Amino acid sequence: MKRSYIGIVILCFILFLNIIFTQSMVHQFFYENYVNTLIFMGLNLLLFPTAVIAYKKTIDVLE
Amino acid sequence: MSNKNNKIPFSEDNYTHNINRLNERKLDRRGFMKTLAGAAGVFAISSIPWGAVAAKELMGLGEKEYPHKKIADVDELPIGDAVEFKFPGAHDDAILIRLSENKYVAYQNACTHLRCPVYWVKDQGEMICPCHHGKFDVETGSPTAGPPRRPLPEIEIKVKDSAIYAVKVKRYEA
Repeated sequence: MKRSYIGIVILCFILFLNIIFTQSMVHQFFYENYVNTLIFMGLNLLLFPTAVIAYKKTIDVLE
Repeated sequence: MSNKNNKIPFSEDNYTHNINRLNERKLDRRGFMKTLAGAAGVFAISSIPWGAVAAKELMGLGEKEYPHKKIADVDELPIGDAVEFKFPGAHDDAILIRLSENKYVAYQNACTHLRCPVYWVKDQGEMICPCHHGKFDVETGSPTAGPPRRPLPEIEIKVKDSAIYAVKVKRYEA
């Protein structure tokens, strides 16, 4: 019984997006583009449920 | 996990095989995925304050207005002259310069280099910090020479009933 590593790939990609969104958010904040800051915050918040769903869906996937 | 059972003592390269550590130091695939999902949660929560401050700025709560403070009467201040005052606090030095009949500029005059007081030099038409010869443009407050790199914070001025009032400190703009 071998587990699939697809979940790790997906979660790593989500972490990658998290890093990008966080950095953009901070930059937009200091450039005083507050609407963009809010957008990136929303994206970051959306990534958390996405990550949880991705975890639950892929934790028992077999190869 | 293969053939450890039924072999007593099974070969293990430590002397603590009788302690059941429950694999507590092992990061398996499941644990790694849990960590990643948790990291997403940490990112989400830690981005909330940034968004909250951004929303606060958008709603205009950051625009703080101080009680208006009378600086001088219009008659007392000839064109080209400056008067020093304190705004908004009792220890925040500021300077008001009358450039023309109806044009006034005011700045907090602590030099943005090392906070020496900046003076208005009428003959040269510049604001000069005597400590390290920093110079500021009188129209905008932006630095033109010397060590300072940031503009002086501008103070908004209102003229009412032939008296000059300081209204608020403009936001520092990068």
